[in-house]
Amino acid sequence: MDQKVLVVDQQKCTGCRQCELVCSVYHTGASNPSRSRVRVVKWEQAGIYLPMTCNHCEKAFCVEVCPTKACHREPEKENRVVIDRNLCIGCRTCIIACPFGQPFFDAQERVTVKCDYCDGDPQCVAFCNVKAISFVDADRAQMAKKKEAANKLADLLKQARG
Amino acid sequence: MATESVQPIRSAKYVRPQQEWKEIIAVYLYLAGMGAGSFIIGILIHWTRIELNPLSIPFIELFGVRLDLAKFPILWGPIMVSIGAPFLILDLGIKWRFMYACLNPRTSWVARGFIILSIFIVFGLLILAKSFLPFKWLHPESGLWLIPEVIAFVFALGTALYTGILLKATKSVPLWNTHLLPLLFLASALSTGSMSIILSTLGTGLLSYNSEGMKVLMAGEQICVVIEGIVLYLFLSRRYRASEQGKESVRLLITGKLRYVFWQGIILLGFIFPVVLEWISKYYQNSALLFIAGLSLLTGGFFLRLGVLHAGIKDQIPMQRLMEIQYDMKRVH
Repeated sequence: MDQKVLVVDQQKCTGCRQCELVCSVYHTGASNPSRSRVRVVKWEQAGIYLPMTCNHCEKAFCVEVCPTKACHREPEKENRVVIDRNLCIGCRTCIIACPFGQPFFDAQERVTVKCDYCDGDPQCVAFCNVKAISFVDADRAQMAKKKEAANKLADLLKQARG
Repeated sequence: MATESVQPIRSAKYVRPQQEWKEIIAVYLYLAGMGAGSFIIGILIHWTRIELNPLSIPFIELFGVRLDLAKFPILWGPIMVSIGAPFLILDLGIKWRFMYACLNPRTSWVARGFIILSIFIVFGLLILAKSFLPFKWLHPESGLWLIPEVIAFVFALGTALYTGILLKATKSVPLWNTHLLPLLFLASALSTGSMSIILSTLGTGLLSYNSEGMKVLMAGEQICVVIEGIVLYLFLSRRYRASEQGKESVRLLITGKLRYVFWQGIILLGFIFPVVLEWISKYYQNSALLFIAGLSLLTGGFFLRLGVLHAGIKDQIPMQRLMEIQYDMKRVH
């Protein structure tokens, strides 16, 4: 199966944190953003909001450091990296290892949790009113930016030709 | 810090040290390092057959078994590691699942650590038990005992190094991601270990203050402290230059929130006090001062682990840099 990824358009995000809410409801049944797998990082002074989700990295540090193989890759399911809560011992090594500040320690379940793409239908994508988060094929993730860059280049070439 | 008022993005999330591993892990790292270090020194004393005084209480009777305590003050290291290891388990979210890590030894350094510590504890306690159990069938004088002794010695070295490797293996924290950290923890394990052996042998009368053995031991301990100081300097200076987060970590230790831990805990208690007090105790031939110096050095060893653990700041994520650029551009326009 082709790999799909979550793409965040930070320019569109308003910082409403609805994604956090629906994520926690979907995964835990509680509307508690502190148990969400997505976190909106806010820089209020600068007016910048950035929803942070797991990148399911190709070379995932969390998989490398997990002592029980609880954190593993599932190539058959969008090549996602998931944590098996039945194997997780709650050592939090993956949290320290992840450069994106990702897996979170669920204080109630006493294990580490992370984004699992909601089994192929990410709720953060479905409920984001401004469409700041999208779930697209990995090879098309940068398509919009590539188109924009190509258009700019075409304009420059036109100008150069006179 | 100057950057904080200029760059609010940086100040908000950037310089926050890791919050996942706290004091419990520091206690674990300390007891494992100190216990392993003391066993290394103890077994070296045992091998070199340094002349030891008979103890004032040479044996005790337990359940009718006469336990010989002659070597106990130099071989108790595995007990410290046995006390320290449960602290790692205490820090786990679901404690009983630590068995899962033991069953997957090749997955990561946390799992390998369980194995290294377990082997050291088993063989170390075996050597310790052999030293005080009176049973003839153990053949305590047999040359074959050298095999478990060498295994315990190698795994004691492994345990002392592993405490640094555990932090280094996480990769995302520039302060920890260096070969100098296992070396620093090894040097600290040997200095605290040799000091704890000095205290236990002096306290029990196994070595007298003026004996040749004690002089060798104290010289070795002082060399370990000097090496530890040099490695600490190299560690901090290299980490300062390694990356922005490495620099922030070192700043946090030296001038930031952790400055009291660093200057009073690590430098004063771990280096200056012991060196000065040991020198004065030598001059006045006062063993009481040596005890104070020893306790000070042992406390400093704990603060070293605590400081290094609390100063760990993660690498900057790429998005963070993007946010900084966007913020700077907003300010320009």
